[in-house]
Amino acid sequence: MLPDLPALRSEFDAALAGARTTADLKAIRDRFLGRKAGLLTALLKALGTVAPDERRARGAAVNALKTDIEARLAERESAAIVEDVAPGVDITLPGRVPAFGRRHPLTQVRERIEDIFAGMGYQIIEGPELEDDWHNFEALNMPGDHPARDMQDTLYLATPMPADEQGRRASLLRTHTSGMQIRYMEAFPPPVRLIAPGRVYRRDNFDATHTPMFTQVEGLVVDEGISLGDLKGTLQAFANAFFEASVKTRLRPSFFPYTEPSAELDVECQGCGGRGCGLCKQTGWIEVLGCGMVHPAVFEAVGYDAGKYTGFAFGVGIERLALRLYGVDDIRMFYENDLRFLEQLAP
Amino acid sequence: MKLPVAWMREFVDLPDGPSPVADRLAACGFAVDGIDDDVVDFDVTANRPDALSVYGLAREASAAFDVDLRPLRLAATPSGAAPVRVSIADNGCGRYALAVADVCVGPSPEWLRDRLASAGVRPINIIVDITNYVMLEMGQPMHAFDVARLAGPELRVRRARAGEPLTTLDGIARTLDETMLVIADRDRAVAVAGVMGGASSEVTDATTRVAFESAWFQPGTVRATGRRLGLKTEASARFERGADINAPVAALRRALALLADLGAGTVVGGLSDVYPRGADARVLTLRRARLTTVLGTAVPDATIPRTLTRLGFDVAPTDDGWRVTVPSFRVDILREIDLIEEVGRHWGLDRVPAHFPALASIPRASAPGVSRGRLVRRTLCGAGIQEAVTFTFIDAAAAAPFLADDAVTITNPLSEKFAVLRPSIVASLYDSLVYNRNRQATDVRLFEVGSTFSSTRGERTAVGWVLSGSRGSHWSGDAGAVAFTDTKGAAELVAEALGAPITAAAADDLTWLARGERAAVLVGAQRAGWIGRLAETRDVDVPVYAGELDLDVISRAAVSGAREIRPLPRFPAAVRDLSILVDERLPAAEVRGTIRSSAPATLVAVREFDRYQGKGVPSGQVSLSIRLTFRHADRTLTDAEVQQAVETIVDALVQAHHAVLRGR
Ligand SMILES: [Zn+2]
Repeated sequence: MLPDLPALRSEFDAALAGARTTADLKAIRDRFLGRKAGLLTALLKALGTVAPDERRARGAAVNALKTDIEARLAERESAAIVEDVAPGVDITLPGRVPAFGRRHPLTQVRERIEDIFAGMGYQIIEGPELEDDWHNFEALNMPGDHPARDMQDTLYLATPMPADEQGRRASLLRTHTSGMQIRYMEAFPPPVRLIAPGRVYRRDNFDATHTPMFTQVEGLVVDEGISLGDLKGTLQAFANAFFEASVKTRLRPSFFPYTEPSAELDVECQGCGGRGCGLCKQTGWIEVLGCGMVHPAVFEAVGYDAGKYTGFAFGVGIERLALRLYGVDDIRMFYENDLRFLEQLAP
Repeated sequence: MKLPVAWMREFVDLPDGPSPVADRLAACGFAVDGIDDDVVDFDVTANRPDALSVYGLAREASAAFDVDLRPLRLAATPSGAAPVRVSIADNGCGRYALAVADVCVGPSPEWLRDRLASAGVRPINIIVDITNYVMLEMGQPMHAFDVARLAGPELRVRRARAGEPLTTLDGIARTLDETMLVIADRDRAVAVAGVMGGASSEVTDATTRVAFESAWFQPGTVRATGRRLGLKTEASARFERGADINAPVAALRRALALLADLGAGTVVGGLSDVYPRGADARVLTLRRARLTTVLGTAVPDATIPRTLTRLGFDVAPTDDGWRVTVPSFRVDILREIDLIEEVGRHWGLDRVPAHFPALASIPRASAPGVSRGRLVRRTLCGAGIQEAVTFTFIDAAAAAPFLADDAVTITNPLSEKFAVLRPSIVASLYDSLVYNRNRQATDVRLFEVGSTFSSTRGERTAVGWVLSGSRGSHWSGDAGAVAFTDTKGAAELVAEALGAPITAAAADDLTWLARGERAAVLVGAQRAGWIGRLAETRDVDVPVYAGELDLDVISRAAVSGAREIRPLPRFPAAVRDLSILVDERLPAAEVRGTIRSSAPATLVAVREFDRYQGKGVPSGQVSLSIRLTFRHADRTLTDAEVQQAVETIVDALVQAHHAVLRGR
């Protein structure tokens, strides 16, 4: 039984009358004229099944209906476009976007790290960039002639600074943000769970991988029963949040005067998936941060009971992470503030 | 430390190839900087002078692979007195051992030269090479003197005299001072103790009798001396980290064994060993429970003494752990925690199960500056200003305009470009503006949040900004060039975000800003910052507007916590616009003040909406248009009441400022 052409026509009439938008018109075109499933297309294809004596007349009728539908649809479609244009408005011109700046990449990475740790119940602390010898070195198990002071080439102040409440005077640019943690422990009893972000300074080369000023986030957790296992779990959680959920990490023993045992955290190289590439010097691993269990001498310096409390600490360089994150190969770019670089960041 | 692995194999049996050795030792804390053929370059941390040697690393390998460590082959101790006398006159030297030998100086055999070269030490002659070989193998630095070139058959360890001259082996004539320790003959200094020998007693091909020195010097003394002389050597690197006080005699016996093996000489007389104080071995307690607490895992009881013994410790069990005697070469092992680290790193940090610390108490609040910094950054970004981060040290010239005489300077800056700590954020931010303008950027708007420094006020947290070029262009029209009002707006926006109302006031101490386009920013009566146009725009040919706010001053004045919301008005407002002509130098703030003081309480808002000079306005005058909003809290105002209020205001403006009402 062949479809009834007049019924098809009145179905089209009703659909066209009810069409309101260009999307409606497109749906109608697809239903009746679609190249694969259109109703009229199907009728034309089915002509071969019609008895030869009827075929000619039937073909003419279907074609006539198709031409008519085609014409009326095209008319409505062009009208629809004209109706959608208001005088003085060109929807293809750029919109008016209020001027906006972007947070600096080092800020973006820093806030991301802060947010990860804040989500794990860490408080974020701040402290001075000019430090005294006690907070930068001595309280951190680095007395006057400690060889480890050579590891951190220090910039010293030539100008005498005003004394603080304890009568201590800043004498150097802090080489790490650990001084803040000493200040914190001097002021508050355990438990401690904090991160200390900030700028730090070293008398280092100025080249593609070193700047005399850079940014660190250090972390400190102190409580009864805190172990190296807790440090591992925490850093794994951080790596999962910062890199990707399945990233592999490893701890390698290392040395810092203020932690014992000390370690470096490596994460699997994202560039090669651990197989080895130029980025990771063929090792498959990227060094991310230094960490360890807080040395009892540090607890003794701040008046914590080193027999009762244990803790862990870690320090991560933000520039190193940012280099990797943004695929930049020269650390100096972060301090040039070239708008052509900064304007590529997300607002 | 470049380690030829074949050399290490003399002492321990290891798997084939350098890689397994490198990997295993890396996992125990000796990071690998590179592998070249059979030589592994280990990065030995500063606390492990004992591992700056083939034998020290072999000892680590013996623990890491759980294999035996073979002893060093030493010559028997010769008896009798040495023909060179030794005396110590300063406790910077803890031990001084010496042996004398008659020698025949020439080049070393090829295998010895190759071995030294592969470890990164240049071969010189057989005597010097033997001392270097022993240093590399055992970590004990040695020195050889040509006895014939010493004044008198004696060596004294003493402080240098002020101004005492010594030409060191590198050919440099040095002037010593009394903080430095030297080895001297009867007349003069012949070596800087623990750092470098002197040229005058250097062993040459003509030398026939040598004195081998093998001593222990105090780390701090060697470190200070090396630093004062600007001299770092293989010997000083080992002494300043801490050498083994029991190594000197063994090292001499090792050197004598090599001397005999190589047929290079024979010992004359016995050994001198001056060791004034002696030293007791350190004994520590290692508690099983403490080890488990710190590591977060229980290491099997059998493993602990086995590892420590292989590392050279003497271990005896106790009720709750072990009594551990520390070998003298482990200068880094001072307390229990150091032993826990030894066990941990050899057990394997990767075998410690990861755990997550429980949150056992309410976290304390973060520093208020953290959220404040975030708010300021986001607010200024939203206002179309890009965040920058610049170095906080700058050159003196960039700092100068912002300074009284309160600069904070650095003793040892990397260069003169980084010699002064910035007195203002703008002082360092300006360089980034220049940088961008030199790269075809025309509209540059930058801000930074950070510290500023002065010797009087100390360290302050501030936000600063620089604005130049246009406010932004769009096809629908240009917004114009940045002006004073933009920098004031930035200050107002930050103040609004932090909830502290600010005012701008004239100030003549803002000398880095252009006259007439500068103002102090006040919170109440307190100075909180400044705004204006920079008076000097080095390397920039357009006006630069800038500003800075002390965030601590601003936030002290800020509303803390949530702001209280006033109830919304219940009755409609009546709005009247006034246009007046006044003297062009009259500040709008004064006009506003006159309006407020003359108006009834129903005046709720005064807002300037136009300032015009030009056609229709007499020169020297300005047309100010002001919108007045009146409202009564309890009823709708009548037209007559509003009209009455406006007339009172106009009268006051005429009286106070000779204002002329326009368009009426
Ligand atoms: Zn890779």
